[in-house]
Amino acid sequence: MIHLKNLTKTFGKENAVKNITFDLSQGKCVALLGPNGAGKTTTLKMIAGLMHPSSGQVELSSGGGDDIRKYIGYLPQHPQFHNWMTGKEFLQYVARLSRISKLESIKLAEELVERVGIADAKNRKISSYSGGMKQRLGIAQAMIHKPSVLLLDEPVSALDPIGRRDVLNLMEELKQEATLLYSTHILSDAEEASDEILLMHKGEIVESGSLQDVKERHQVDKVTLRLEGNVQPFKEKLETLPFVTHTDVQKQKIHVYVQNVTEARDVLLELVTKEQWPLLFFEVGQTTLEDLFMEVVNEHAMDDHL
Amino acid sequence: MNMQWMTIYKKECLESARNYKWVWVPLVFILFCIMDPLTTYYLPQILESTGGLPEGAVFDIPTPPAANVFMMSISQINTLGVLVITLITMGTIAGERKSGVAELILVKPVSYTAYVTAKWAAHVTLVLLSIFVGLIASWYYVQLLFGDVSFMYALITAAFYSLYIILVISISLFMNTWTKIPGVVLFLTISIILVLNLITSIFSHLLEWSPTTITSHLPALLRSGEVGQDLWMAALITILLIISLLFGAIQTLKRREIV
Repeated sequence: MIHLKNLTKTFGKENAVKNITFDLSQGKCVALLGPNGAGKTTTLKMIAGLMHPSSGQVELSSGGGDDIRKYIGYLPQHPQFHNWMTGKEFLQYVARLSRISKLESIKLAEELVERVGIADAKNRKISSYSGGMKQRLGIAQAMIHKPSVLLLDEPVSALDPIGRRDVLNLMEELKQEATLLYSTHILSDAEEASDEILLMHKGEIVESGSLQDVKERHQVDKVTLRLEGNVQPFKEKLETLPFVTHTDVQKQKIHVYVQNVTEARDVLLELVTKEQWPLLFFEVGQTTLEDLFMEVVNEHAMDDHL
Repeated sequence: MNMQWMTIYKKECLESARNYKWVWVPLVFILFCIMDPLTTYYLPQILESTGGLPEGAVFDIPTPPAANVFMMSISQINTLGVLVITLITMGTIAGERKSGVAELILVKPVSYTAYVTAKWAAHVTLVLLSIFVGLIASWYYVQLLFGDVSFMYALITAAFYSLYIILVISISLFMNTWTKIPGVVLFLTISIILVLNLITSIFSHLLEWSPTTITSHLPALLRSGEVGQDLWMAALITILLIISLLFGAIQTLKRREIV
């Protein structure tokens, strides 16, 4: 569908996006994940044609030299509209700009305000819309010309829980109609809606693949203990055990990453009983995507310091 | 292309209607245009009522010829009017890019040519209409208070002057594609017009057909109705400049990053 080849964007001396290459295949829903400043927005803007890459290119497999914008719907992070128009007028305007006939654009606008849930406000000036309503109008305008690729920049980050739910449901529906690429810095949103993730950090793609694959690849067994008092001495003791790879302290919690989970459980429980540790909580589990996220970010942050 | 062009043109006109530009811009130009005819005519009365003259002083203020008074209206447009024109056009593209609306508009398959020329045409419509209304008002008062000026000649004069005004709009539009800050557009546009005037007056023997010479041909045109060769050439040069500015604006916008 869309191929990015060695895409790079430089602002002055800063590399916002460094040499990224990936394919976006038809009908997939891909989450572009990463902390703030990872280069997600820049990447999306380059695909949408709003920014020109410093090097590399964006190719669309279906359009031979055609205007790529026909096939792309784009929702910016903070969509801005002509505030003097009503929601319906704006949708009609955008539809007409996408070469849709007058009758059809009236019909589409009506349909879409209904679909994104702003039908009550369709005849009100956009200047009176709340943030959530603007976001919904933004999604409606992005899909009005039935694009085959939808680029959504942080579609749910600014929404309240209800709005977030609605938009995620809408995205679930949209998956049937178009290829979705959306950016987010919230892991649960990525876990919920996407088939694939692309994890970006400092302008590079550090991890990609289907959600399941990525999880499996980075899944590590982990035992979590919560203890009373100072956890430092226990942490040090734990690190001396042979099956422990490393530990991580989070307030009263110690995350212990282990190689052999059965052995670890038995040994640790025994140790706790024998030495009478002030145990509050004990859990055997596996690392989540969030741990992966933190790990990747930290790992690379570490590289920067060296 | 055609459909998009009309869509943008209509949107611009609707926007001007919603912020009442169709009302206040013509009113402002009427004000500029009738100010001089009225104050010139009533000057003796004004002086008398303000009591500015020492007792016994006799001032004989000659009544200027009608054509000269009409030209005063045009020179008002040339200063204050040009400023107003630049003020209303300075944000048309720059403002949309600054606020971020341009991101939504230009990510759709919109032709840059349609985007630029439709906006240009919408502003040309508004401004020319306002200037014509203003000049007709001026003509009416000149006719009433000073004597005969051929309406036909006044129209031809206004038509040639319009070319210069369209050039001003085109300069502003061109500058709109160079910066996102409307204030900078205003500054650059006014500076260019001033520099153009300055250069033309310094090198007047070399630049006989400069667009700013149009205004200097107008008094003769108004009296005789005859379009001299120099005026034709200046008009031609102006039209060519307008076309190149529009072309330049389209090309610049194409190369620009929208955000």
